[in-house]
Amino acid sequence: MRDDDFLEGQLLEDAWLTLEQVAAACPVEPEWLLAHLDEGLFPQARSVAGVWRFSGAALVRARRMRRLERDFDAVPEMAALVADLLEEMDGLRARLRRAGLD
Amino acid sequence: MQFKDYYQTLGVARGASAEDIKKAFRRLARKYHPDVSKEKDAEARMKEVNEAWNVLSDPGKRAAYDRLGAGFQSGQEFRPPPGWDAPFEFSSRGFSPGEEADFSDFFSEIFGRMGGMRGGARARAAGRGEDTRARVQLDIEDAFGGVTRQVSLRVPAAEASGRVSFRDRTLNVRIPKGVAAGQVIRLAGQGAPGAAGHPAGDLLLEVEFRPHPRYRVDGRDLLLTVPVAPWEAALGAVVPVHLPGGEVRVRVPEGAQSGGQLRLRGKGIPGEPPGDAIIELRVVQPPADTPRRRSLYETMAREFAFDPRKTGN
Repeated sequence: MRDDDFLEGQLLEDAWLTLEQVAAACPVEPEWLLAHLDEGLFPQARSVAGVWRFSGAALVRARRMRRLERDFDAVPEMAALVADLLEEMDGLRARLRRAGLD
Repeated sequence: MQFKDYYQTLGVARGASAEDIKKAFRRLARKYHPDVSKEKDAEARMKEVNEAWNVLSDPGKRAAYDRLGAGFQSGQEFRPPPGWDAPFEFSSRGFSPGEEADFSDFFSEIFGRMGGMRGGARARAAGRGEDTRARVQLDIEDAFGGVTRQVSLRVPAAEASGRVSFRDRTLNVRIPKGVAAGQVIRLAGQGAPGAAGHPAGDLLLEVEFRPHPRYRVDGRDLLLTVPVAPWEAALGAVVPVHLPGGEVRVRVPEGAQSGGQLRLRGKGIPGEPPGDAIIELRVVQPPADTPRRRSLYETMAREFAFDPRKTGN
């Protein structure tokens, strides 16, 4: 295998994803994300000088909310509530793992 | 190629109403929801359920499927008739081209060549290609040295005729040192191709760690449990500890207790700043399995007059 067969990845630090990247990776329409941001359904997203920055956690959240809306016709607030609960569960599971109890 | 019985997947009759199909889908979507399901193969099952729903919930796709599939049983050898090009309008029911690409060969053979790829996502492809995403599973050790991993993707590709085919793509990716769980690695230009003259999108790889028998991670911190003998904990000792970056010698302070934690600064996952290694001590006592050892324990019991259930000890 030649050396140029390999791809060098660039590591994205937290809060590095743009709105367009999150939208494409979920995938959702950017308008969907903007509407949900306006409603305050993405507490992890930060707007710096009018530009939205997303963490990896926001990407997971957007994907979950979109699924709930698509699969169950959930209204956005309901999807956000379920996403909140799932995030809390993620946190508790992580604590169990850290304690070596999972 | 084997015929897929989508009605069987959702557990409904061929003549089921749209309402019954929706109900059956939602019941299964709840059962196999990846975040909560206790089923072992939840992810694979959910993919099948999504595929069946994608077809049966769309009147055009369902009509095409019913016409093609009349008389076929699940698992039967199936080929679409030559020149098959359904005169139906398809929608993608909120599924993205990437998700549809993940469906079975059976699906892509029938529907991949058709309208499922039209709509909003395509309309935007008039310029730069879309960013796509994939997951990559790593071992915790990989974050310490950097590693090369093969990543397999199934990607949709639009042909000149407007048909869409799916192809498997394998990339060799050099994972940079210091990657943490949940982090995203961007591979520039490896996403969906752009329209003529426009650049391709990026591929975003999400990092996951496989469970490790000895190590756990919390962000960039590395957590591990180290067993120590009672005398090492009581008197203090220097013990060897194996970390992914190599063996280190760790000083256990005098009077350490089981459950006590030692933080080794900068010995976690490399980065700016690097994480710490957090060692949890576990005192393990030797068995009293010879008369001599029993007598040693009895001596301790006499000499210490120690009751661990009393406060102050």
